[in-house]
Amino acid sequence: MFFLRELTHTILLHPSYFGAQLEDYLRQKLYEDVEGTCSGKHGYIISVIHISSIGEGKLLPGTGQARFKTNYTAVVMKPFKGEVVDGRVVNVNKMGFFAMVGPLQVFVSSHLVHADMKFDPNASPQCYRSNDELIQKDTKVRIQIVGCRVEANDIFAIGTIKKDFLGQMREE
Amino acid sequence: MSDDERMDMGGDDGDYGEYDPDEVNYEPDEAANGENGDGPDGEIDETMIVESNAPAEGEKQRIGKAAVANEVRVTTPYMTKYERARVLGTRALQISMNAPVLVPVEGETDPLEIALKELAAKKIPLVIRRYLPDNSFEDWKVEELILQE
Repeated sequence: MFFLRELTHTILLHPSYFGAQLEDYLRQKLYEDVEGTCSGKHGYIISVIHISSIGEGKLLPGTGQARFKTNYTAVVMKPFKGEVVDGRVVNVNKMGFFAMVGPLQVFVSSHLVHADMKFDPNASPQCYRSNDELIQKDTKVRIQIVGCRVEANDIFAIGTIKKDFLGQMREE
Repeated sequence: MSDDERMDMGGDDGDYGEYDPDEVNYEPDEAANGENGDGPDGEIDETMIVESNAPAEGEKQRIGKAAVANEVRVTTPYMTKYERARVLGTRALQISMNAPVLVPVEGETDPLEIALKELAAKKIPLVIRRYLPDNSFEDWKVEELILQE
């Protein structure tokens, strides 16, 4: 699920940047540092949409560097148990398949696909196949998340397609 | 003469021009905001804070009123010798680490010499944050503090 969150980020700035373009540099550095990262607490930080304050620089004694505490609003994505998401399959093997939902990797075990879907190791590329569905690399799938493993700097999710309206999505 | 942080205006010598130390307490900072120095390498539009007598890092975050500088400033308008040393050292360190210099250099290479020159020209873009015993603080721009000698 996507959220708008107020977050803070601390930037240490080297004296050589103490010029007229200091603020521009701080903004650019904030985007570089923060966008695309993931924290277990907030989820994936997709995009900074607003910088509310860049903060006043405080000099750190001894090092000559200035520390800026910036406040910003960002779009974050955090997966939840029970959430239904759309993704794209990136890898298929006999254990199940992996799908990417934006930056989030979701694993769907072969136990959590419909009973009539079978792994076909001889097909190229390898795929899961039933009478009316085919899941291989780059197939678009709809998945329900059944659990998340949250680490300090990463999130992994386990998904299922063993329910109505889940599984391969056909483009009409 | 004023090497502590209390008001210490003995009125010994009147050679500070028409500057009345009492008045500084009630002056809003607006006048000083617009005219930051335009040095040879462009101007610095953000001022950094040097803390004097700062409480230890890691103490609880200052929020609300404790996070803003006191409006009425009561400490001495003179720069103490400790502040002078800290400001010169900090600025010299920055200059030695390639910070843009705000005065025209005429062959000086020693960062401390350049810092002294900047201080004499009142171009040092720093703010001194004086912490008081009650844990509040006052912000003084280096350029508005009176230098002695």
